[in-house]
Amino acid sequence: MRSIVVLHHFLCLLLLLSHLNSVSSWKKEEFRNCDQTPFCKRARSRKPQHCKLIATDVAIQNGDLTARLITPKNFEQNPDEDSSEIASKPLILSLSVYHNGILRLKIDEDPSQNPPKKRFEVPDVILPEFESKKLWLQRHTKEVINGDSADSFVVYLFDGYEAVLRSDPLEVFVREQTSGNRVLSFNSHGLFDFEQLRVKKEGDDWEERFRSHTDSRPYGPQSISFDVSFHGADFVYGIPEHATTLSLKPTNGPGIEHSEPYRLFNLDVFEYIPESPFGLYGSIPFMLSHGKSHGTSGFFWLNAAEMQIDVLAPGWDSESSISLPSDQKRIDTLWMSEAGIIDSFFFIGPKPKDVVKQYTTVTGTSAMPQLFATGYHQCRWNYRDEEDVKNVDSKFDEHDIPYDVLWLDIEHTDGKRYFTWDRVLFPNPEEMQKDLASRGRKMVTIVDPHIKRDEGYHIHKEASKNGYYVKDSSGKDYDGWCWPGSSSYIDMVNPEIRSWWADKFAYTEYIGSTPSLYIWNDMNEPSVFNGPEVSMPRDALHYGNVEHRELHNAYGYYFHMATSDGLLKREKGQDRPFVLSRAFFPGTQRYGTVWTGDNTAEWEQLRVSVPMILTLGITGITFSGADVGGFFGNPDTELLVRWYQVAAYLPFFRGHAHHDTKRREPWLFGERNTELMREAIRVRYTLLPYFYTLFREANVSGVPVARPLWMEFPEDESTFNNDEAFMVGNGLLVQGVYTQNAKDATVYLPGDETWYDLRTGTAYKGGKSQKVDASGAIPVFQRSGTIIPRKDRFRRSTVQMENDPYTLVIALDSSGKAEGELYIDDGKSYEFKNGAYIHRKFVFSNGKLTSVNLAMSTSAGPKFLSDCTIERIILLGHLTKSKSARVEPTNHVTEVELGPLQIRTGVRPSVLTIRKPNVKVSDDWSIQLL
Amino acid sequence: MKIHTKILVFFIFSSTLVLISSAIPPNELLGIAPEDEIYYKGLWSSGTIKCKDGSKTFTRSQLNDDFCDCFDGTDEPGTSACPTGKFYCTNAGHRPLTIFSSRVNDGICDCCDGSDEYYGKTRCNNTCWEAGKVARDRLMEKIVIYEEGVSIRNNEVVQAKVSLEKDKENLSKLKNEEKVFKRIVQHLKDHKEQIEKAIEKERIQKEKEEKKKKESELKEHKDEDKVDFAEKEFEKSNEDHKDPAVDVAQNAHLSHDNIEQHTAKKEESSDVTHTTKDIDSLSKEDLGREIGSRWTGKKTEHQHHDDDTINVDNEENNEYNTETDEDHEHYEENDTNDHMDVQESNDDSSSSHDYDPDDDAEDISDMESTNSPSLVEKIQQTVKNFLVTVNPFQTPVNTSEAENVRKEYDEASEKLSKIRSKVSRLTKKLAHDFGPKKEFYSLHGRCFETKQNKYVYKVCPFKQATQEEGYSTTRLGRWDKFMDSYGVMLFSNGENCWNGPDRSLKVRLRCGLKVELSDIDEPSRCEYEALLTTPALCLEQKLKELKNELQFLNKDQMQLHDEL
Repeated sequence: MRSIVVLHHFLCLLLLLSHLNSVSSWKKEEFRNCDQTPFCKRARSRKPQHCKLIATDVAIQNGDLTARLITPKNFEQNPDEDSSEIASKPLILSLSVYHNGILRLKIDEDPSQNPPKKRFEVPDVILPEFESKKLWLQRHTKEVINGDSADSFVVYLFDGYEAVLRSDPLEVFVREQTSGNRVLSFNSHGLFDFEQLRVKKEGDDWEERFRSHTDSRPYGPQSISFDVSFHGADFVYGIPEHATTLSLKPTNGPGIEHSEPYRLFNLDVFEYIPESPFGLYGSIPFMLSHGKSHGTSGFFWLNAAEMQIDVLAPGWDSESSISLPSDQKRIDTLWMSEAGIIDSFFFIGPKPKDVVKQYTTVTGTSAMPQLFATGYHQCRWNYRDEEDVKNVDSKFDEHDIPYDVLWLDIEHTDGKRYFTWDRVLFPNPEEMQKDLASRGRKMVTIVDPHIKRDEGYHIHKEASKNGYYVKDSSGKDYDGWCWPGSSSYIDMVNPEIRSWWADKFAYTEYIGSTPSLYIWNDMNEPSVFNGPEVSMPRDALHYGNVEHRELHNAYGYYFHMATSDGLLKREKGQDRPFVLSRAFFPGTQRYGTVWTGDNTAEWEQLRVSVPMILTLGITGITFSGADVGGFFGNPDTELLVRWYQVAAYLPFFRGHAHHDTKRREPWLFGERNTELMREAIRVRYTLLPYFYTLFREANVSGVPVARPLWMEFPEDESTFNNDEAFMVGNGLLVQGVYTQNAKDATVYLPGDETWYDLRTGTAYKGGKSQKVDASGAIPVFQRSGTIIPRKDRFRRSTVQMENDPYTLVIALDSSGKAEGELYIDDGKSYEFKNGAYIHRKFVFSNGKLTSVNLAMSTSAGPKFLSDCTIERIILLGHLTKSKSARVEPTNHVTEVELGPLQIRTGVRPSVLTIRKPNVKVSDDWSIQLL
Repeated sequence: MKIHTKILVFFIFSSTLVLISSAIPPNELLGIAPEDEIYYKGLWSSGTIKCKDGSKTFTRSQLNDDFCDCFDGTDEPGTSACPTGKFYCTNAGHRPLTIFSSRVNDGICDCCDGSDEYYGKTRCNNTCWEAGKVARDRLMEKIVIYEEGVSIRNNEVVQAKVSLEKDKENLSKLKNEEKVFKRIVQHLKDHKEQIEKAIEKERIQKEKEEKKKKESELKEHKDEDKVDFAEKEFEKSNEDHKDPAVDVAQNAHLSHDNIEQHTAKKEESSDVTHTTKDIDSLSKEDLGREIGSRWTGKKTEHQHHDDDTINVDNEENNEYNTETDEDHEHYEENDTNDHMDVQESNDDSSSSHDYDPDDDAEDISDMESTNSPSLVEKIQQTVKNFLVTVNPFQTPVNTSEAENVRKEYDEASEKLSKIRSKVSRLTKKLAHDFGPKKEFYSLHGRCFETKQNKYVYKVCPFKQATQEEGYSTTRLGRWDKFMDSYGVMLFSNGENCWNGPDRSLKVRLRCGLKVELSDIDEPSRCEYEALLTTPALCLEQKLKELKNELQFLNKDQMQLHDEL
């Protein structure tokens, strides 16, 4: 009898364990792999030289180089086994050249041949002004390459670069003019394949089944695949979003056991794992390469259908007969997409920042965030009610920890009806927001794209009446399942619907919203709990009879865009929107912020968050972050502290947690840990003037705030594969700590110049690895030759810091020089676009610091004024002992003494400090050390 | 006399203030607490003083010059320049306040006198008079409560002492009784066994004689065998019944029944688990629910809740013996000892009561669950009576004597087991930590309830805490201990949460005249908090502090009036 009881307990335990197990791990089998994805499987199985197309009728037309791609007669009778269906209609190719080294390649079906349907071109991603940057080609030159039977056509691309269309075999490439070395090439291995749309014949079975879902595929196969080679490349990077290393590991070829290609398909993946090529919440089909010999180049394919990308290991094509110019360091890639057209861009670089600039010329730079958004954000699923909000808010003050935004997750709504409030929990939302705002704090609420199918819900009523929902394949409103239960999804592809949606954010429409309320878009992949792969069926129909398969990856982007437009509209274009989105696509950077979704409280997830965010940065989205502490699970205290320390240096800084986790606000783990987390957050706040200047740089040039080391040190090969450390701007190097009980950390400091420990000012020689203390904080260094502006006074939030004085930290290089910038504006409006900002350059040389104006001089327009002064100037690496300094033009002398690098109890005065120069930050001045 | 001292104190205080004030310009003293002013005196006599941490010296011109020279903030008490500094606001008419330097000139009025915002960008009204009045009124209310609370508490402390003595007395009495009964039971047992042996012996002998008869009268003796067999069976089961082992066996039997039930339920739930894995076979709606539940855990939690209930059943079954004994005993104990409690719980029945009603209910349910064995007992009794009456055999051993011995033995051993459980229960009770003055003694054996939305929360100090919704009860925790020097009661090891921790409850204790439960909160999932007011927390020391504070506030008030 006893044994039965024991057995029973054991069984219960087993049952419980299996239960837990079944919900706490990534459901790999619920997502399609390449073999289960016919277009991917077909494309992967093709051998080099599969493509038989040749270019004919090459001509200059409307400033482009155009051609028709046809299959020569002798191949038509002899089609490949797997492409027997390919119609022999010609394809249209065009090559366009844009300013600053951008080549655009488009290939589509010939509209004059009346294809069954127009293939989808992704609208509203390319900047409208991009077309104005086009160079109108006037002529081409002909050339014979490798003894080809047909001519190749060469056009000018950029100083020292040419674009070449090789007609037979078909190849498009960019080369250096003088050396003739290829930089980037298309179809060099003949893997190009374009499945043209055709009329369904009797007996054609186009349906695809995955698990319980059937995709009717009414238009049949329409996939595209091709190979792209990056020449002179040591590594390739980019194509987010994957939880993986910064440099992309090969996925196919010799030595690769079995790997999936990198998948780009926006998915809500429950408990994703690090080190996986599987697709996550967002997709950017933009890859960068970097190598010692050429530098950096990039390739971007504007396509919103499911994409799979193989990075091919060297030797993958060893059986093939072709020989490209012997370029040891070439990286070949295979790009496959289910639908759409080829609209692609080649970026010549050659410097890392050039490629990012070129890419953002096409898709736009990051929007200038409001200052508050660069501070710390506190979120949880869920801060339950108004009292909870009040308590959390006051605890920050009680512990003197600054923060700027308090977030409310889905439970704040009335039954997951967005734009509404649970009036039991939140009876007075306006009061609540105003109370927060009285201390300068903002609030963010969540608004998702799934709309509860409830006749009493005004959004649903309007959307269904106006036909604003995505339709299923039969033309009825698509009915899926998400948080509210049965839900439909707003068709955000239609500009009219986006405009309607944007109007919903007006204060009169969104009852309970105030000007200090901003928005969070979640679940916009879109996440559909009962859909295939937890998303929308591919045969669902959008505006213009576009199938969901054609635009899936851009759906969340349009939703994000519409929400951002809503916030813009509600303040008549005067207030910069803040909208956080989980899904993203090229162009997302113009509309807001993204985060890396539902991560887990594990050390490996802290580690992978760094390459994930760096990858987003180099592919245009600079304002991104990961949930501090990890969304799922309870971080141990040390992990949480380390997470704060690392995340404080990453662009978007938000703590967030699942509702099953323990509370983890920074004051809940004992005095010492509160102190450590407070310090991490405070350091972030002291550096906000620097961060804000960097956000402006990103806004102007596209160069991200958080940068891979190789972006700043493109010549230093030791940095190419380093994703444990990163640069904030050009001045700070941050080394993360990703292991338990780490007392010290080994940091590789690039370049030959000296680096200064951010806390102590200790100097370290560059060009080698250094073992440094990591006990109280992660190692951070200021690069010599830079000047970093800070605000050292701690406040409740960014709002109260507005009038605080600045500290400048000057780290001199070996020649006694340094430079830095400071950008200031009102932190919220668009007046900066009219010149209302302060932009200074600080130059130090020969013992003299000079402040120079970098702002465009606009005599008319609004001005941004600031009475802020500089209260302290710290000099690192200054050898002569000065006692005083002369300030011009006021011609007064101020003291120079030893001071602390950071004012904290117990530190020793160790660095040379110019005391109270009290010059205005907006003025021209100079300070000479005496 | 009292007034005199007050005036004297006031005079000394204000004259020091005047003395210092005359020596140091007041604006330079900004942000310095009066008791701290003495530290800065040297700035006016010698021109420089040390930072408090000794790290540096600073001059008079560096005091409050909006540049941080001392890293501990000594030189900038009145500005925001030092990150670790503190700013003191006088707040005449109200309590003085020390705030973080980061609040100085940040555009937000932190001091009711507005002294923290002197840049002029933000205008702060002086609200100290109004705020001070509110604070004083509140303080006075609190003092009234404390005064009464302290006397209730003192009473309870005395009461607890008496009750505890009684408990101890009872315990030693019971222990003596236990010894006595142990001996009696042993004696009866020996006696009973002797008689039984004699009966057995006689029976065997008779059997031998019968055998001979049987051989000749085989047909007639058929019935007799049957009876013999039945009697034997009865004796065995009767004996077993007195043996504690039988309870285990019965219990095991019960458990077995439950296990069958559980297995059925388990199969159900494993079916669900199965479908969890094979989500493809779900309907669209169920699929949506299933996938969504991964994030929310809701549906699966419901599933799990069933499991929990099973566990509870199971545990209750395991504890069946001791629980019922204890409860039974407790019932008696209350009858005799805890009259006061009963009365009190009657007074305030809506929010607090003794365990008994609850435990009675448990008793009833337990009775129900043990229904069948008692039925068996009845049947056995009938069979036995029948046998006694129809038994055709006469034995030389006096059967009635044997019966009496048996009966006596039964009664005595039952009594012994009752005494034993009383002893164990009382020992357990006395082992509890009732606080340094035993001021929490009166909370033993009582429960306190509060309703929030659809849930009724019930806290039984030294026992357990539960959350009830309709007929379902979830245990939030078993009594664990006091925390934070008797400021918090901890109930831990409650029912497990799906994908989460075991439930737990922290009850913050606060001085109040009645014992009342309120403010149930669940700040993290399945980690509950509540507030319980009790006179046990009305400490004399605290009352003194409150009175001092009021005195201070009133004095301040007087001063303000004088100035006005």
